Amino acid sequence: MINHIKKELKKHTFDYLLLLTAGIFFILALNLFRGERLLEFIVLLAFVSFYIIWGVYHHIIHDHLHFKIVLEYVMIGFILLFLLKIIILP
Amino acid sequence: MNFSRIKNFFHHLFIPKEDNHFRSRLLHLDFLTYYLLLALFFTFLFKSTPLSNILGYATDITIQKLYELTNKERQNYNLPPLNYSEKLSKAAYQKALDMFNKNYWAHFGPNGETPWQFILNVGYEYEYAGENLAKNFLFSENVVSAWMNSKTHRENILKKEYTDIGFAVVNGTLNGEPTTLVVQMFGKPASINLAKNLVEKHQVFATEKKEIPLSKSSSSLAPAVLANKEQKPVVNVNKFLFDFNLGFIAILMLTLIVDFYFASKMGILKLRFTGKNLAHFIFLGFLAIGLFIISRGVIL
Repeated sequence: MINHIKKELKKHTFDYLLLLTAGIFFILALNLFRGERLLEFIVLLAFVSFYIIWGVYHHIIHDHLHFKIVLEYVMIGFILLFLLKIIILP
Repeated sequence: MNFSRIKNFFHHLFIPKEDNHFRSRLLHLDFLTYYLLLALFFTFLFKSTPLSNILGYATDITIQKLYELTNKERQNYNLPPLNYSEKLSKAAYQKALDMFNKNYWAHFGPNGETPWQFILNVGYEYEYAGENLAKNFLFSENVVSAWMNSKTHRENILKKEYTDIGFAVVNGTLNGEPTTLVVQMFGKPASINLAKNLVEKHQVFATEKKEIPLSKSSSSLAPAVLANKEQKPVVNVNKFLFDFNLGFIAILMLTLIVDFYFASKMGILKLRFTGKNLAHFIFLGFLAIGLFIISRGVIL
């Protein structure tokens, strides 16, 4: 499994670096706007949107895009968006 | 027989094989749809105001807990515990209401209102007085630990001169956002002779962070709700939602690992038309960290 992860990271280094950078910015922005619920939600929405676009882009450039894959990224993104929204903006 | 059926059921849910089209069932689109529907159900359930009030929504921070935790911190430093003061609690409540009504988040009001005038207004003549504020925390423990991690707030909590303490935990709308405010007020009553001389002489408020300017517009204010010392929420909603979110993320991450492990072992990773487990895992990991950050509010 570790070998597969290493291969995946080596093959798509730029894509994963981009995702990790966005994740770090997400954490920094959340920390910066701590206590400001609307801004926290905007930061969350931006990260989820970025993730869906990242997923589509990643599969397009590797010629592996399928409607089911797009749906999977959209679903996972929106599930977490709604679940965290309940806490941020009750 | 039963054990075997249970085992098969869990295999079907977690391990990619022929009968689940070589993808953990918990990651199939139909299951993802169920999760989405559940998330939407929760969103509408907890948005309903009457239900929120019944459940004591956003009042998981209790005065009782704050009082216990504050005194515990003092005891850790060999300081005497503070007495709970109804007057200081009333002053704290008036301060919180004032912040909601005038739409500000600061130790001093837009018209020059000071924390001390709220204390004096309830008939508490003080020799020493102090104030700590907190906004939008989910749990009492986080509020006290945030205060203890801040030098000026910690000094307030550990000030040996104080003898009394009061709290208010009030829910309302501040700057157009649903907000939970925590006001902690400290005091030492002045003797009658000293009172006039010492008022406004020993006033301490924590000012580690700069005041956050809020809009001065007098937006429509939802009625603020006080979480009394005696009031206990019927259901600990915030705790439930926090644990549910964390549990859900943990199960999803575990499923992604199991699915990735068996799929890589079977050599079918590239044959499947699915999203990238590693990417989902990283995304969920950041959201789990984010969940802990949003459970902590801001202090002043």
